[in-house]
Amino acid sequence: MLDLLNTWLISPFDYGFMRRAVVGGLALSLAAPPLGVFLVLRGMSLIGDAMAHAILPGVALGFLLAGFSLPIMSIGGVLFGLMVALLAGAVSKMGGQREDAAMASFFIISLAAGVMLISLGGSSVDLTHVLFGSILAINSTALMLIAGISTLIVVTLAIIFRALVVECLDPLFLRGQSRRSGWVHSVFLGLLVLNLTAGFQTLGTLMAVGLMMLPATSARFWSKRLEGLIGIAIVLAMVSSTGGLLLSFHLDIPSGPSIILLAGAGYLFSALFGRYHSLAAKLRRKTTPLAVEQGSLES
Amino acid sequence: MSQGALSRCQLHNLHLAQARRTVLEHVEGDFRPGAITALIGANGAGKSTLIQAIMGELRPISGEVVCTVPKERRAWLPQQLALDLTFPMSVEELVMTGSWPSHGALTGYCAGHYRKGREIMARLGISHLAHRPLGELSGGQRQRALIGRTLMQEAELLLLDEPFANVDSETVDILIRILRQMADDGATIIVVLHDMDHLRRLADDVLMLNGGHCQWLAPSALAQHHAPAQVVPFTLGGRHAGSA
Repeated sequence: MLDLLNTWLISPFDYGFMRRAVVGGLALSLAAPPLGVFLVLRGMSLIGDAMAHAILPGVALGFLLAGFSLPIMSIGGVLFGLMVALLAGAVSKMGGQREDAAMASFFIISLAAGVMLISLGGSSVDLTHVLFGSILAINSTALMLIAGISTLIVVTLAIIFRALVVECLDPLFLRGQSRRSGWVHSVFLGLLVLNLTAGFQTLGTLMAVGLMMLPATSARFWSKRLEGLIGIAIVLAMVSSTGGLLLSFHLDIPSGPSIILLAGAGYLFSALFGRYHSLAAKLRRKTTPLAVEQGSLES
Repeated sequence: MSQGALSRCQLHNLHLAQARRTVLEHVEGDFRPGAITALIGANGAGKSTLIQAIMGELRPISGEVVCTVPKERRAWLPQQLALDLTFPMSVEELVMTGSWPSHGALTGYCAGHYRKGREIMARLGISHLAHRPLGELSGGQRQRALIGRTLMQEAELLLLDEPFANVDSETVDILIRILRQMADDGATIIVVLHDMDHLRRLADDVLMLNGGHCQWLAPSALAQHHAPAQVVPFTLGGRHAGSA
């Protein structure tokens, strides 16, 4: 029994690339889900996807200029992502169009431009690498970058947490309270872009969003409290990134998709059997008797 | 209008427009501190536009709003549906966000804030709901929680947009009492109202918007001549009325 556990869970990490991959995955799992939770709460679930496409031309430009250098590609991605976010914001303010419409337009332009740039300068192997990532190929530099970005995101989120909560619930109240309330939204978008750039080298630009959104949407089925949502989402992300890596190791399947598919399985399970709003919760007709509830409130 | 105390919110020849269409012109006014002003008018008469201008959200085409109340002491209670109430937040947490002006966005709440929050919830009769998520509240309970936030904020200028819509009568009584107390403490309160009965119970002044212009009235003038045709050239039950 122990032997089996050892073969399945421990021995894969004798390999350096697996160790780096799992640390990178765990670091991402700490930073991405809280961002996803806030996106879901703000009804902006698809913005993450849009931003993921938006960083692609920047990554491609970095790749053209410096070859496969992760720091340069990341800087390009961050700059381009922020630019697209600003442009989309500006266009929606200018034309009165909703921000998501402007975002949708820009991200599809970005995707085309990015694919074009990479194809002009590299091969289809490079394109696959950027689009779908290769968590098993991260080196120490990339790992430091991921860990650094994740730390920055967690710390910044902790600092702006309350302002972000108030902005989600009642932006008008926040605007009344602070002259520079616009910064909350901008900082949040900035963190989003940073997180996606950290994610692209492990999961690829297209799938980095998965680790952000799937745990967050699954958590909605398990908790009604913000702290609960964030905690559950982080645990789910950690389980899927580690579990996905192990699966890909043992079954010899691509790592990125297996991580995201595991998170996806978690989502489906939550939607079927979760505590709130799930199928099972709809079928369950048991309620708390009034007396019990009042008793617990008084205590 | 002003009697004694210096007005902290005045409107000077205000011209307001939404999407290039003039909504209100030549609006003059003076909201007395310690008084509750009812803002009335049919749908589309420009009530929300005027509130936006007073809150500083909408820039006037000409004229000005002179408001000496600092921004963080102004509170705006939007119509109920304007808030996303599936947000995972408890009543206590919502009330506590009102303490923002005294301690900023970044520092934590101290024991004194929590004590004040609990006192406010007791005044509003929602202590037993403190840890209930917002999504599970009734309309009235929700409205009380939102008023709790403005009490926590120590708002000196309070604008409420139809605070009594979808609210039970017990909550109406409590809210009217609390608003009167806030006014007695010197707050300037402006309430968008549709119900004649609420207006009679609450308002000290009435600002009526009609056809792009405003008119100041005494509540008694409205109450005595309840025949809408002569004195009130529009139907008060704005929600049921046709467009202006």
